[in-house]
Amino acid sequence: MLLEVRDLRVEFRARDGVAHAVNGVTCQVDAGETLAVLGESGSGKSVTAQTVMGILDTPPGRITGGEILFRGQDLLKLKEDERRRIRGAEMAMIFQDALSALNPVLTVGDQLGEMFVVHLGTSRKDARARAVELMDRVRIPAAAQRVRDYPHQFSGGMRQRIMIAMALALEPALVIADEPTTALDVTVQAQVMDLLAELQREYRMGLVLITHDLGVVADVADRIAVMYAGRIVESAPVHDLYKAPAHPYTRGLLDSIPRLDLKGRELYAIKGLPPSLTRIPPGCAFHPRCPMARDVCRTDPPPLYEVDEQRGSACHFWRECLDG
Amino acid sequence: MADTTKAGEPTDATPNVSDVRVAEVKSEEQAVAALDEHVDRGEPILQVRNLVKHFPLTQGILIKRQIGAVKAVDGISFDLYQGETLGIVGESGCGKSTVAKLLMNLERATAGEIFYKGQDITKLSGRALKAVRRNIQMIFQDPYTSLNPRMTVGDIIGEPFDIHPEVAPKGDRRRRVKELLDVVGLNPEYINRYPHQFSGGQRQRIGIARGLALNPEVIICDEPVSALDVSVQAQVINLMERLQDEFNLSYIFIAHDLSIVRHISDRVGVMYLGRMAEIGTDEQIYDHPTHPYTQALLSAVPVPDPDAREHRDRIILTGDVPSPANPPSGCRFRTRCWKAQDKCAEETPLLAIPERFKSSDSPAAHESACHFAEEKDVVHAA
Repeated sequence: MLLEVRDLRVEFRARDGVAHAVNGVTCQVDAGETLAVLGESGSGKSVTAQTVMGILDTPPGRITGGEILFRGQDLLKLKEDERRRIRGAEMAMIFQDALSALNPVLTVGDQLGEMFVVHLGTSRKDARARAVELMDRVRIPAAAQRVRDYPHQFSGGMRQRIMIAMALALEPALVIADEPTTALDVTVQAQVMDLLAELQREYRMGLVLITHDLGVVADVADRIAVMYAGRIVESAPVHDLYKAPAHPYTRGLLDSIPRLDLKGRELYAIKGLPPSLTRIPPGCAFHPRCPMARDVCRTDPPPLYEVDEQRGSACHFWRECLDG
Repeated sequence: MADTTKAGEPTDATPNVSDVRVAEVKSEEQAVAALDEHVDRGEPILQVRNLVKHFPLTQGILIKRQIGAVKAVDGISFDLYQGETLGIVGESGCGKSTVAKLLMNLERATAGEIFYKGQDITKLSGRALKAVRRNIQMIFQDPYTSLNPRMTVGDIIGEPFDIHPEVAPKGDRRRRVKELLDVVGLNPEYINRYPHQFSGGQRQRIGIARGLALNPEVIICDEPVSALDVSVQAQVINLMERLQDEFNLSYIFIAHDLSIVRHISDRVGVMYLGRMAEIGTDEQIYDHPTHPYTQALLSAVPVPDPDAREHRDRIILTGDVPSPANPPSGCRFRTRCWKAQDKCAEETPLLAIPERFKSSDSPAAHESACHFAEEKDVVHAA
């Protein structure tokens, strides 16, 4: 197993109390596999990613428990300089907003080349040549000239390609992409997702794709982990989950997608709002919004029940949900 | 070449839109009175003709010279009928938000006309313009920045009454605001709260209540749900559909999420670089698109069905959208189009029913601005 996260817990000290952002996340990614982490804003998906990468700001954040095993080694037990050697070289991250993730006063060539200079001790001249090669790999036209350009001189799609090039520079084993195409238009999104999938196959990387878009997930993922209020509420192979969700939240999300045969009818809407992380409801966090909620849901937090070998659902009544 | 014009010329013969019945008005009183007239369901309420908006590009600090123009909207025409929803889709930079601002009269059009009940609102001023603005309202994209954080919800929703006191007399306002809160599904007790005390979805409801305050006939929605979480989007869409039935509203629904646009719209227009590429009923556009851009756009949308991914016929466009300051000659889409030929660079294709479909009653017979329009079902491709 390439990456294994076990019972990870992260909290933030906020003015009005402690925000429990991640409450016992357990998931795993194998080499060559794409895991999609699906969730709404505030579900803890980005905090989980930042914690795995080791770029969580502490304080205000605090890791209160759990293990992050990367190739069997617990990252949380490593010293900062040991983690720094792994970060970028063996695991890399692609951010949502390329314009704010890139340094505006350095050319893209310098920023791409820096990866080689810092991690491999390559000379500046060689690093530049490698940068041009990388830009070619992500299909940026006229790479040899554009290597001297600054981030603002590129379009949104091209900037995202540079982000991808930077993440893949040292051929990491694991890439975490946090909403990599959310800021892009659909035709450009298709180009970028295609490129990412192709490079992943080529390098046999493990890919963690964080998104809120059920369409993107269906297009590229092998497995899905659905997050709600800092927990994984359902994890399943992608085909199984779309066919028959085993958690009422997943079911609600799938049902609220506008469908052709339901035009002119009301959309299904999950009632209510996602909970505040400082006041997560007791029992199952989803119970105030759940159409299936019963007394036990208000008091007993459901464990991640095993639905079958590959599936888990954090719902006391997953059997009923699965049957529709 | 009956349905083509030389590159760069404005396109004026658009058979897809109905004739404009220009209202005869001699005085401001008559103009204001004409705006209160009732429009029947199915009659055009808003008619846009050859609308153009160019933003000048200048150089120099003291002595400004115009060195070009961003052609944000470059000659578009369409009708909005009473009680219908017209969806406008397109990628960023295609000019859809500029269209919204022009319809609201927040930007002055460079050329072209917008007829509201037969009067050209781009030429109105004074009381008549004020009366138009009462009838055309807007819902904004970002519910966080479009509400003043220092005003209470009651003041935000009641502010339109300060400008149009004839709609609600002073003593009646609080009652009206509470009514509006109830209509959009918020607790009327919240009238004294501030925007920060609400979630994104609730804020968007406040924005909708403000848009409804003056009993408008047309509401322009610029990406009304794209800032909201998936589970909340459906709630707001349902609310908007309910309000449309209840108050007989006409919507212009601008969005980039194609599945939501299809769900809510009766007709859909596809924009590319300041021009309308294709317009028709939702079925015509989604199931029988004839413009290559529409086909590429539809095929690029991720489908929430993992079984579909193996046998989908995806069209991946190359390159990016060109700059609207320097758009390609002829057909705007030709630089990314796989069908482009010399003709596309020389002649601007008109938005019209393609010649080959003219006599057919197939759903492909709708207006499409392509020389080589041809039907291709990309959504159901198996």
